[in-house]
Amino acid sequence: MAPSAIDPSTQASDPQISAPPPQLYTPRELHFERYLASQPDGYRQARSRGPERAAIVIDNGSSETRAGWSFENAPRLNITPIFSKYRDRKIGKAFSFVGADVYADTTAKGHMRNAFEAGSGIVSNWDVMESILDYVFIKLGINGSNGGIDMPIVMTEAVANLPYSRKSMTEIVFECYSAPSLAYGIDSLFSYDYNNGKTGLVVSSSHSSTHLIPVLNSKALLTQATRLNWGGSQSAEYLLKLIRLKYPTFPGKLNSSQMEYMIRDHCYLSRDYDQELSTYLDWTGLEDRDHVIQFPYTEEVIIQKSEEELARIAEKRKESGRRLQEQAAKMRLEKLIRKEQELDYYRDLQSKISNESKKESKRLLDAEDMKDEAALERTIKELDRSIRKARTKDVGGPEIEEEVEEPDFSLLEVPDEQLDEAGIKQKRHQRLMKSNHEARARAKAEKEKEKARVAEEQRADEEKRENDLEGWLQERRNARADLVQKVKDRERLKADLGNRKSLASQNRMKSIANLASDNPTKKRRRGNDDDNFGANDDDWGVYRQIATGEGSDDEEEEDLGASLKTLEADLLKYDPDFTDQHTLDAQTDWTKSLVHAFLRGPRPFDPGSQAEAHQLHLNVERIRVPEVIFQPSIAGLDQAGIVEIAADILTHRLNGIAPQQDFLRDIFLTGGNSLFSSFDERLREGLRAQLPAEMEIKTRRAKDPVLDAWKGAAKWAGGAKWKAAAVSKEEYFEKGAEYMKEHDLGNAYS
Amino acid sequence: MAPATPEAEAHQALIEQIDIHQIPKPFRNSHWKPNQRRNKNIKTILGDAVRKEASLMPTQDNSGIATPAADDFDTSTDGDSTPANSTPASTLQPNLAQASRNLSKLVLERNMRSNGFSTAPNATYTNIESAPSLAHPRHYCDITGLSAPYTDPKTRLRYHDKEIFGVIRTLGQGVAEQYLEARGAHTVLK
Repeated sequence: MAPSAIDPSTQASDPQISAPPPQLYTPRELHFERYLASQPDGYRQARSRGPERAAIVIDNGSSETRAGWSFENAPRLNITPIFSKYRDRKIGKAFSFVGADVYADTTAKGHMRNAFEAGSGIVSNWDVMESILDYVFIKLGINGSNGGIDMPIVMTEAVANLPYSRKSMTEIVFECYSAPSLAYGIDSLFSYDYNNGKTGLVVSSSHSSTHLIPVLNSKALLTQATRLNWGGSQSAEYLLKLIRLKYPTFPGKLNSSQMEYMIRDHCYLSRDYDQELSTYLDWTGLEDRDHVIQFPYTEEVIIQKSEEELARIAEKRKESGRRLQEQAAKMRLEKLIRKEQELDYYRDLQSKISNESKKESKRLLDAEDMKDEAALERTIKELDRSIRKARTKDVGGPEIEEEVEEPDFSLLEVPDEQLDEAGIKQKRHQRLMKSNHEARARAKAEKEKEKARVAEEQRADEEKRENDLEGWLQERRNARADLVQKVKDRERLKADLGNRKSLASQNRMKSIANLASDNPTKKRRRGNDDDNFGANDDDWGVYRQIATGEGSDDEEEEDLGASLKTLEADLLKYDPDFTDQHTLDAQTDWTKSLVHAFLRGPRPFDPGSQAEAHQLHLNVERIRVPEVIFQPSIAGLDQAGIVEIAADILTHRLNGIAPQQDFLRDIFLTGGNSLFSSFDERLREGLRAQLPAEMEIKTRRAKDPVLDAWKGAAKWAGGAKWKAAAVSKEEYFEKGAEYMKEHDLGNAYS
Repeated sequence: MAPATPEAEAHQALIEQIDIHQIPKPFRNSHWKPNQRRNKNIKTILGDAVRKEASLMPTQDNSGIATPAADDFDTSTDGDSTPANSTPASTLQPNLAQASRNLSKLVLERNMRSNGFSTAPNATYTNIESAPSLAHPRHYCDITGLSAPYTDPKTRLRYHDKEIFGVIRTLGQGVAEQYLEARGAHTVLK
């Protein structure tokens, strides 16, 4: 058995009752914060320093565009590289928004576009990129008094950026913004440089990808660089996929921005993934490992009525009931009076008839639609009885026992020849009555017998239990096992019917086809044209067989459940080995369920609760998602993990270039996705297993893994290396858009 | 017209404030007319590059026939192969890699060699991508993420224990495929 929440030793009968309510986390997502005013002071300062000693530094990352002045120590702007443009038809006006401003308006949100190709650091939408640059220059307060951007620009780009991509950017910077000069560099190398790195292995895990770049004497060995196509954005998409699969009917809205925050807030890199994973859904400590994200919801409002109101409503109901009763009583009374009048009338008629001649009486009877005097007699009797009944009911007098007189069967003995036509009719009627009467008596007797049989059975059962408890229990146990098997079989059948190709489904389809066809195949084969369908009761079972879905087998299911319950109750009562834990209910209880622990954490789930329906439980995902960078195959990425890449670079690809040890002494982590707390430790331990034991491995993190790229670029922008690497406007116009100058921190021409 | 509730007005005012469409951008060159079809995804860019290289090849080839000494530039100065050997070979069977090179590229390459990294090719977006892993991939449950000793032969899903297997068997149509997709093991119909 795999380790899981099913471990009984860690579990009392109901441990969760004492569990405190879970700590709820609210989901966070990118949102509009506030209007950012233009900041012309930086530009003024830059102007006073002159373009030799000031530059606009733009860290053009796929998660954020960070822009600021080279002489300052932090970027002024952090913009998500998104853009939205739409036209409000009502007022005939176009709107453009950049960055988080897009989230201020729902229409704008709908038109959102990203500058970068999804999951890569390559700009693919240049209209968006231009708008972002517009925004940057507006907010930096550039007034364009000299007709363009009169400050040099330093920009970061992806490792091995595509020539087309670089060319387009260069074109924009020089043609559209008329910048005096432009220099490109690689973000992670700027970060390394800023942290005083000289020789080492730069591991940069960022939003769209992870790069490993060996650096020798401050010069990047780009030919040995390696990219793993996994970063923060892919992690977010992966988590989104997992959550959607985990909660397919989740009512809240999920997006990848929320996932990014969830990864940041709740996920962590496991120090020993397989070991931690094996006990992750165990009962002990699941409260701490299971993080609950509560999405906004609206509670269904149940209006609580006050005592007074309830009383009033009850009174009202009673009142209307009384009124109805009164009405009914009145109607009954009227009916009674009418009936009494009728009765009087018929009595009167009867007495009149008895005095009249036969012919006259016949005439009177015909006028009343009566056949003969007997009929009149019957009518009177009936009326009398109903009146008496009604009266007792109304007045509440003693219930008069309905006299069940043995009907008159006198005519049955008389042969037909001796009877006239009316007599024969009467006889037929009596025969019918008699068979009716006898059938009723038979049914009564049978009922009695059945009762006696049940009582006898119970008695025998009890006797058996007293005499042979073990045998009796065994019988029960077997019966219970049979029932459980039956329930399981039914479940399996139901599941099989869901599958079109299963044997059960095919049999069902066969039956349907057979029923629908005019000449059923079976009958014809036997050469018997007589369709005696239905003669055998089992024939009708075919309809139960073909019915699926809602309500097809509810009755029987109830029945099985009920008999299982009684059996289990018996066993509980008499079998010392059979405890609460053994009942089917307890065994299928949520506390035993791994799936429950996975989906709903260590607490019971109330399907009716809106709050719980809007909860996400993060447990295994918390370590599963960050782990992908070490084992990309988890997310189906067919690339080597970060440790394997690093080991390959260090042991094979750098052979003969420089001593391994130099690189190992400085393994440098940067980028937002490397912020997981045990990232460095995992990398170090992973490499330790792949390298000779005497090698010294040192890892270190950037001071600020997110901002150091910008800071490094800003620092570099003032120096001599920058002056040598920047391409001026004149050079651009002379040598073309693809002209570039290689330098230590930038890409090489390819 | 827009409804004149205070919230809507405030919202409209905010939108007007953060909108950058109306803000004058004097730093932009008013004559700047970008190519309408400049937005390309990586696949298109790489495809275009390959096509461009392919189209360069025949012209180089032709020019090579007209001036046979042209592509000897490389070999003759290097001195590690004799021009007598290389010239007839390259005219008969043009060296594709060489054919696509232009002058600046050759110069750069020469500079690179002087730095001592002569064997390595240039770093391009495609060739710095990490290779597939050589390590044996571990199997994890597709549903829960726990270790997965079993595989369901029908759906090809990996699973942790029999309870998860029960879940797999009750999955609706297409859900199993979605789970496989999360692991990149789904079937792609082309």
